[in-house]
Amino acid sequence: MPTPAVGLEDVSLVFGAEDDTSVLALDTVSLEIGAGEFVAIVGPSGCGKTTILNLLSGLIPPTAGTVKRNGQEVDGPSRDIGYMLARAALSPWRSARRNVELGLEIHGVNRQERRRRAEELLSLLHLDGFANAFPSQLSQGMRQRVAIARTLAIEPALWLLDEPFGALDAQTRMAVQSEFVGLWEQSEGSTVILVTHDLEEAVLLADRVIVMTARPGRIKSDTAVDLPRPRVIDELRFDDQFRELEHQIWQELRDEII
Amino acid sequence: MRSSDEERETQAHSAGRLPIRFDVNSLDLKRSPARKVLDRVDLPVQAVRLILLALILWVWQSERIFDGVSLLGFEIFPEIPALFRGTPSGVWDYISKTWDDSVFWGDVKVTSLEALLGFVYGSSAGLVVGLLLGRFRRLARIFAPFLIITNAAPKVAFAPILILWYGVDIGSKIALATIIVFFIVQIPVQAAVGGIDPDLDTVASSLGASQLQKFRLVVLPGILGPLFGALRLGSIYAILAAVFGEFIASKRGLGQRLITASNQFNFGAAFALILILAFLALLFNFVMGVLERRLLRWQDDGGKGSVISL
Repeated sequence: MPTPAVGLEDVSLVFGAEDDTSVLALDTVSLEIGAGEFVAIVGPSGCGKTTILNLLSGLIPPTAGTVKRNGQEVDGPSRDIGYMLARAALSPWRSARRNVELGLEIHGVNRQERRRRAEELLSLLHLDGFANAFPSQLSQGMRQRVAIARTLAIEPALWLLDEPFGALDAQTRMAVQSEFVGLWEQSEGSTVILVTHDLEEAVLLADRVIVMTARPGRIKSDTAVDLPRPRVIDELRFDDQFRELEHQIWQELRDEII
Repeated sequence: MRSSDEERETQAHSAGRLPIRFDVNSLDLKRSPARKVLDRVDLPVQAVRLILLALILWVWQSERIFDGVSLLGFEIFPEIPALFRGTPSGVWDYISKTWDDSVFWGDVKVTSLEALLGFVYGSSAGLVVGLLLGRFRRLARIFAPFLIITNAAPKVAFAPILILWYGVDIGSKIALATIIVFFIVQIPVQAAVGGIDPDLDTVASSLGASQLQKFRLVVLPGILGPLFGALRLGSIYAILAAVFGEFIASKRGLGQRLITASNQFNFGAAFALILILAFLALLFNFVMGVLERRLLRWQDDGGKGSVISL
């Protein structure tokens, strides 16, 4: 069996261990995700979904256990990981294009190349005419697209996404989801970990849906989604096989929520 | 024309969308350049301004106001003895007399230099200290009591001491302006650093930014708004500090001229000098405004970058 792209081995995380108010966020979680897999993690709020992304991105260390990336232990942020937060978190003083360039600028990519890649991505996300607009001049859907472009501009091998479409209205969400899946299906074997509270979104987009328990976070179920690719998101929602799968996973999730 | 219309329609049909029938270009919404200037100047506003100015000058020149003003039995403006009165014509006399005087311009230069250097030293130090204390909380905790006490002291009270320490020339005025401007810049900068969206920091970290890169890409641009607010205020206070220092003891400068004029009961000259100092402060502020507008283009909402929009 090849080395997994991402691995958690008996990972636990305690917040505020030094105070009296310590919280066990993750309880001995083990998880392996292969290269090129698209995995969605769903669970009630506060179950530690985002914490898993923070661990994988190297922003925080685990309290116990090991976090591995390509077989190596993670000890800080890595340049081949693209992490997209729930909020677009664009720099208000940078134009859309310069926001997309941020990671490339940090990595020392030259101006011409930065510009080329940013414009390419903006075009793929249907933002051609808005390269020079500032975030305050963009709609929420556009800002979220810029954030996606910024995450992907560094051409990461691992995409970590925290509720990337949560703030969008239903129609915009569908449009941005479709664009996103298109980008992933075109990318060469990038691994995606998508955290979401929206089960429909998880089943529509991912190859594998992991359900987490309410705090302390543990893995409750791990279900393969055998729907063919490429997927047409807006039509797939009405597919019987899809409906059945969503219902099946919902049975697992509902005990944690209701 | 026709063929492009047809093209548009076929495109619209092929995309499964309805064709556009309303021609936006048929609307004549564009304002002519002359119209734009007129809209910006806003003639009624200018007219009322001029009337007000004329009214003020007339009341002042007629010296009516100096006979005392009472409102509801309260003497809100006392009667001023003839010797202490200054009028617009007195102001004009002084300005026209000194305009060609190279000694006067030398004094303008002295006060400007004191204010400018004090402003540059004070704001640079305030920026650096504010950034460091805003970014490193333990450092801020160490220095907080010292800074709070120094800032709480009325800083002009240092003027007599500074004159003994730095001499009666420009040194002492620069020192006073530096101290005053330092706090005006340091406090808001430190607060602004703390107020930067933590998500921007997380994004930069996740993209692998070093501390230095985060300073350059997140912190510095993030504080520009409050920084310029502070710099504008600081530029005005730098002039105030220079003038006050000159009041205490000096050989040259507009403040020195002002205190001499007051002592000689030459109130036309005193008002003229106050007016000149105000213009000097506006000039400082104008330069800041130009810089601010260049650097804060993304905050574009009209007159934010200008103090005076004539």
